[in-house]
Amino acid sequence: MNDLPKHIIPPALTRRRFIQGSTVAGFSAFLAACGSRGTGSAAPSASVPSSGPSASVAASDTPAPQLSPSAELVFANWPLYIDTDENDETKHKTLEDFTAKYGTKVEYSEVINDNNEFFGTLRVPLEAGQDSGWDIVVLTQWMAGRLVRLGWLEKFDKANLPNYVANLEDVYKGPDFDPTNDYHAPWQGGMTGLGFDSAVTGQLTSSAALWDAKWAGRVTFLSEMRDTMGIALQKLGYDPGQVTSAQFDEAIAEIKKAVDADIIRAFTGNEYAEDLVSGNVVLAMAWSGDIIQKKLEKETLEWVAPDEGGTLWYDNMLIPKGAAHKYTAELMIDFVYDPVIAAQVEAWVNYICPVKGAQAELAKIDEELAANPLIFPTPEILAKVKRFKSLTEAEEREFDDKFSELIGV
Amino acid sequence: MGTLLKRHRGLIPFLLLAPGVLWLLVFYAYPAVQMFISSFWSGTLETGFSFSLDNWTTYPAAIERYSEQFGRSVAFAGAATILAFLVGFPLAYAIAFRGGRYKALLLFLVIAPFFTSFLLRTFSWKIILGDDGMVIGPLKEIGLVDSGFRVLATPIAVVSGITYNFLPFMTLPMYVALEKLDKRLIEAAQDLYAGPWRPGGTIAGALFGAGTFALLAAIFGFDVLVMALAGGVVGGIVGTLFLSEAFVRVTLPLALPGVFAGTLLTFIPAMGDYVNAALLGNPSTNMIGNVIQSRFLTNADYPTAAALSFILMAAILVAVAAYARLLGTESLTTGRGV
Amino acid sequence: MATAAATGMVAAPRPSLLDRFSRAVDRYVLFLFTALAIVYLMLPVAVMALFSFNDPIGRSNVAWRAFTLDAWLSPFGVPGLEDAVWTSIRIAFVSTIVATALGTLIALALVRYRFRGQGTANLLIFLPMATPEIILGASLLTMFVALGQPPFFPLNELTILIAHIMFNISFVVVTVRARLAGFDRNLEEAAMDLGANEWTTFWRVTFPLILPGVMAAALLAFSLSIDDFVITNFTAGRTVTFPMFIWGAQRIGIPPQVNVIGTLIFAVAVGLVAISTLLQSRNARRAARLRTVA
Repeated sequence: MNDLPKHIIPPALTRRRFIQGSTVAGFSAFLAACGSRGTGSAAPSASVPSSGPSASVAASDTPAPQLSPSAELVFANWPLYIDTDENDETKHKTLEDFTAKYGTKVEYSEVINDNNEFFGTLRVPLEAGQDSGWDIVVLTQWMAGRLVRLGWLEKFDKANLPNYVANLEDVYKGPDFDPTNDYHAPWQGGMTGLGFDSAVTGQLTSSAALWDAKWAGRVTFLSEMRDTMGIALQKLGYDPGQVTSAQFDEAIAEIKKAVDADIIRAFTGNEYAEDLVSGNVVLAMAWSGDIIQKKLEKETLEWVAPDEGGTLWYDNMLIPKGAAHKYTAELMIDFVYDPVIAAQVEAWVNYICPVKGAQAELAKIDEELAANPLIFPTPEILAKVKRFKSLTEAEEREFDDKFSELIGV
Repeated sequence: MGTLLKRHRGLIPFLLLAPGVLWLLVFYAYPAVQMFISSFWSGTLETGFSFSLDNWTTYPAAIERYSEQFGRSVAFAGAATILAFLVGFPLAYAIAFRGGRYKALLLFLVIAPFFTSFLLRTFSWKIILGDDGMVIGPLKEIGLVDSGFRVLATPIAVVSGITYNFLPFMTLPMYVALEKLDKRLIEAAQDLYAGPWRPGGTIAGALFGAGTFALLAAIFGFDVLVMALAGGVVGGIVGTLFLSEAFVRVTLPLALPGVFAGTLLTFIPAMGDYVNAALLGNPSTNMIGNVIQSRFLTNADYPTAAALSFILMAAILVAVAAYARLLGTESLTTGRGV
Repeated sequence: MATAAATGMVAAPRPSLLDRFSRAVDRYVLFLFTALAIVYLMLPVAVMALFSFNDPIGRSNVAWRAFTLDAWLSPFGVPGLEDAVWTSIRIAFVSTIVATALGTLIALALVRYRFRGQGTANLLIFLPMATPEIILGASLLTMFVALGQPPFFPLNELTILIAHIMFNISFVVVTVRARLAGFDRNLEEAAMDLGANEWTTFWRVTFPLILPGVMAAALLAFSLSIDDFVITNFTAGRTVTFPMFIWGAQRIGIPPQVNVIGTLIFAVAVGLVAISTLLQSRNARRAARLRTVA
């Protein structure tokens, strides 16, 4: 975070609209003070659009009145990312437990399918200093970094988050985009590696398989730049955590070879999982949790972290600036950091759990899952996956641009 | 109210037009202007965008970088239009001339798929054409195709998808034109000794067949010569059997406005399509629609996206104008003949 | 056919073998072709309906496993689907009504009257149909974004509605105009000769006669709106319509319930058309009977 670019007021925001914006902000502050937006942070968080992290400090310093859980909480997440009732997909025990404890009705929407797409929907209200409508959103760490950079997140009041402070696994503490863990709370982690149908390909261990002409036309890479490039970089022997422009270009050229040779069928989001099941795809850059879930549908599916190295990423609970129910959102974050609840979630989601003590709790419910190295990775596996470097805005643009060109858009 | 109206007769059309035209001006024309302006922006989402006429360079840069996708859009849309015509014209002809009592029913069956979500239909094609699916799976088992064969994630799949989606758009206008045709004109022609067109029909058919197949071969990457030959043979046979003088001199010219409308209604949306390429294609089949969508929604690169949209619009308008000049019909805007 | 024989001047040439063959082929091949074309058109619809009865293990509804009525018994069992469907229906309903009203007015103006600026008006109506959907959606998005973020234009159901009305107007105009073009003005003149003023004439004579065209336009607008994906994708913001739900769902697997909804929409549409056709033919028969009596 050393060269944090100054957040310039978008020039589209002319002086007239600036005044308009402040008027709106003032009006909503008035409304908030009247309590019509629910309890929680009564401080006018719909501030003037040029807010940076400093402004949000001011917001939470304002002494708030007696805080109590609000009547509702609006929670956006990725699909299949929370424990779900087997017979009724609209019921989630964890959320019901939360409601039982605090009386808050949780409006849970599985609308996040892509970081960039969702950012596009957040951007419009947040840029104007408006309430985005969400209290909690779950986004991958690099997108969280961008939001921190833009100053579009509420800062946590750690006094409300004892579980989080106590139980967060050490590996997630102090990342470069948020050194004090004040803005993000990891929800689930994941690893990107090789997903394949062992009945067709046999047991694979090396990234080189992704370039193997034997599987031409039945291989997919990911449209997530950091995951795909992370694996390509490591195949060439570089560390994605320290990637330079030149190394990036080399990795692009490497992948281009596979594109030109018609080996890569597509650059996908989650779609590869369905294709693996239907047999259209036999080898994919895959996310660990996906394969565990799809194994139920096709037993021969496997996931391995490649020898050369895979990538580690994690999705985080974030509170967008201006959220109407900040206090309740903090309660929710803290709630899922209770090892018992975390185990409950983990039993279903099967990604990497960031909560200390959850493994022991899970062992009480399901010993096999608790021992699964993909959910509670052993140090050996963790050694094989690396995090992608946190990029500056200029770097992000450069890399995104080159990657877009590679995938043909 | 009655006298008021009588006194301001001239105003009536404008009053009738006003609400709708206003809506279109505000929500079609103005956004188009706004998008044009935004193509002269520079900057990013985070640092903000600023307008400057110096940014006209966005246009040539966009053309240069995405010329491949542009060309591909034209090729795929063209191929889909040709295929839709080859399927749609005989279909329209059959319903209009041989439909009899079942005309309405047949027409309805042609439009019926329209009533389901086109996403679901395209996804159904993905299931049908799956590598081990209900069509290809058995073929592989019999041994007709080798195990590495696939239709999905190829240009053929994409073009097939586009063709399928727009077939009703192609068929309907042609049907309307053919149906309105006064059948007595054909009878008159036949009375005046119009008979089968030989050998002109054979030659014309062969040429048309060779031409279209060669074009398709070029687009899909097949052997142009072989395909041209095959097309010539098929076209020749069809021409011999079906091209009568009455057809060529009476039916075809009168059906032309319908052909015109149909090809336009197919080609134009096909140029901007991206769903088929996204669901049925691979990274090398991306069309300009995919680029625009990605630039807008994923990268928030509004200037380039806007520039690309305008270039696409310009290309379409040029193509339409040239086409109109070629076929010499004005049925497009005046509403007559369509 | 060979009526020349009646004139006695030239005897019609005897149909050659090729002629007879081509006539036979003509009769059967066209029939076969039409049948195949219809099958081709309906195939994905059939597959969609078929897979609504499938019983997939997880979410991957791509291969047939077992027959079950589960999805049909709980068509809204997937989170978010119910909201998406109702949102789509709401938007389609409102946009159809508004677009049909506006479009019919425009069609009346364009067909009935001669005025300056007619060419420009025609062009303005035609252009949205000639513009690829992606440009329509993108330009609206640009406008909504550039207008900043006052509470007027957050991207939501309202913006989708605006977009749908916009593109529907052109289609309504074209459809109604076709119907109006063949309209017999004499009927209106007769009514006015009999003392009706313009207002009454319109509602009692004109409107009932152009009603089929207006209904066809409304049906077209409704189906365009409920199925629209591209334009909606750009202007939806956080709102989820049925097509957008499908797009999002196809990444992890389209649940059979979506197929159920799709099949239901298809069935309802088919049913409506069938009913209206039956009504029309019954009216026609009744009118014919009246005419014979009169």
